[in-house]
Amino acid sequence: MIPAKYNLRNLRVRWMTTLLTVVSTGLVVWASVLCFGLTDGLQYALKVTGHELDLIVLRKGATDEIGSGIEQKVAREIASLPGIAKNEQGQPQCSVEFVTILTKPRRNSGGTVNLIVRGLESIGRTLRPGFRIVQGRDIEPGKFEAMTSRSMAARFENLAIGEKIEVNRQYFEIVGYYEAAGSAAESEVWTDLRDLTIARKTPAAVSAVCLRAESPEQRDALTTVLAKDKRFQLNAIRETKYFEDQMNQANAVQYIGYIIAGFLIFGAMFAAANTMYAAVASRAREIGTLRALGFPQGSILLSFLFESVVLCSLGGLIGCLGTLPFNGLSTGTANQFSEITFSFRFGPRVLAQGVMLALVMGLLGGLLPAIRAVRLNIITALRER
Amino acid sequence: MSNSNAGETVVVVREVCKEFRRDQLTIPVLSGINLQLSEGDYLALMGPSGSGKTTLLNLIAGLDRPTAGDVIVCGQNLGQSSEGELAKWRSRHVGFIFQMYNLIPVLTAYENVELPLTLTSLSRRQRDDHVKAALEVVGLQDRMDHYPRQLSGGQEQRVAIARAIVTDPTLLVADEPTGDLDAKSAGEILELLHRLNTEFRKTIVMVTHDPNAAARARRILHLEKGLLVSEVVSSRAKESVQ
Repeated sequence: MIPAKYNLRNLRVRWMTTLLTVVSTGLVVWASVLCFGLTDGLQYALKVTGHELDLIVLRKGATDEIGSGIEQKVAREIASLPGIAKNEQGQPQCSVEFVTILTKPRRNSGGTVNLIVRGLESIGRTLRPGFRIVQGRDIEPGKFEAMTSRSMAARFENLAIGEKIEVNRQYFEIVGYYEAAGSAAESEVWTDLRDLTIARKTPAAVSAVCLRAESPEQRDALTTVLAKDKRFQLNAIRETKYFEDQMNQANAVQYIGYIIAGFLIFGAMFAAANTMYAAVASRAREIGTLRALGFPQGSILLSFLFESVVLCSLGGLIGCLGTLPFNGLSTGTANQFSEITFSFRFGPRVLAQGVMLALVMGLLGGLLPAIRAVRLNIITALRER
Repeated sequence: MSNSNAGETVVVVREVCKEFRRDQLTIPVLSGINLQLSEGDYLALMGPSGSGKTTLLNLIAGLDRPTAGDVIVCGQNLGQSSEGELAKWRSRHVGFIFQMYNLIPVLTAYENVELPLTLTSLSRRQRDDHVKAALEVVGLQDRMDHYPRQLSGGQEQRVAIARAIVTDPTLLVADEPTGDLDAKSAGEILELLHRLNTEFRKTIVMVTHDPNAAARARRILHLEKGLLVSEVVSSRAKESVQ
């Protein structure tokens, strides 16, 4: 085999073209990994929110909490149904919730967007994954207090601790920040159920009931009861299905990302191929010499493919490293009615995708130039100056 | 036509023709060439440009195949060998010396000389021994860490000769080895080739335009328009006989 130092030193000698190719492939990998990290983050946020045993109970015909309305009296009766899981204190894990949408300004004059404000009771916290207060304190019912996540406080005006958010001319003071394992709950503002229905002047109605069944069988039985029992006639949707539907948007982002990445990769492959064609042309006599010395055609092919892969891998490495400052950085996207905040996620899978991209670019971009190198006539190549 | 005091036959060229095709034209370059070289022979191929001397050298070195006839070198019929077989054969039996030295610019003198050994199964230690021995033969053991650009033309050619001999091949082929050198360096290179021929009994085939270079060979063959027109036993050969 031709020693690797032959290729590595040639890359160093032609540092300018090497640098340009590394930068161009690096940018492509960076943009692609950023896109993958974005969709991965959004998918994670929606996926982690849904629990296998959880149901979201809505008015018949409604497909989401915003378009749903249930009489509070009926909603309270649901908690007494059998098959609902109990918490450590023996309370049924059934949360009556009221959801309203406010149009609020983003920080730094970023325009206005819809914001979900959820009124719920303490039992509702146990239905959210990994819920915990990370700064300040939990709200106290009857005091018109609210809490949200750190990323929401950073993105929206009036959501920092000590600030006040207005709902129907009623002000709710932000008293704490919570976390919920990066789920969609982190994209909301929470307040007490009663306080919010008072502010909204709809004390008799709620939006939805969230509950956790004891088992998959009980979950299915509850779905049937809630739909068919004349007392209810409600639409119980599995939480995983509910968020799956909302995830379609993330999938659309992902597909668009893949298409854009595809075009960019195609371009970067041309850059790599161009560099390698130039390398083959300028080193024709060296190739002829190596062949004369007895290096077989396969060695020449592998040598130039290796060089191309190294070139693109350097770009890939820089591209992946370039995304690290974005890791965990939160951003948002419109989600049906409101904005959902989520974090970029550059896990091993996303980074592996970036590395794979670089390798594919190197292999495909280097293949034709390497074949040209192999096909050079030895005698003609030896005559090259 | 072989050297009278030499050993076993190394090169047999029998009724060799070589034609090149350019578009629809067939251009004959060599016609009915016969030649035999024994171990320890030192042949200079001379002739005007286009006479076919480099083509004949390439055929003997296994870089090209004849259109007709046989080229048998070190027991291998090169015309019947595949590209892969020829590459393997060249790495074992032939050392190349080019007019422009053809060293790899990004490799040091040591690494350039080591290059053909990477095709063998020798260990790193064995390779090191071989490389140092070859560089010692050409008198450049103190320049082994230099890159080609840090060497003079004569030194570069000596590194190229070290690369050619490092695998201890039977045959050395040299295409105008002094063509790009000043008179002093050319003299040193010719002296080195002479040593390789006499001390190490290397069979050498050299293409040259330079009568002084040719005079160092044992035999001189003149080609014209693809035909062998005359063979001269060089003054050196006559001296050795006397």
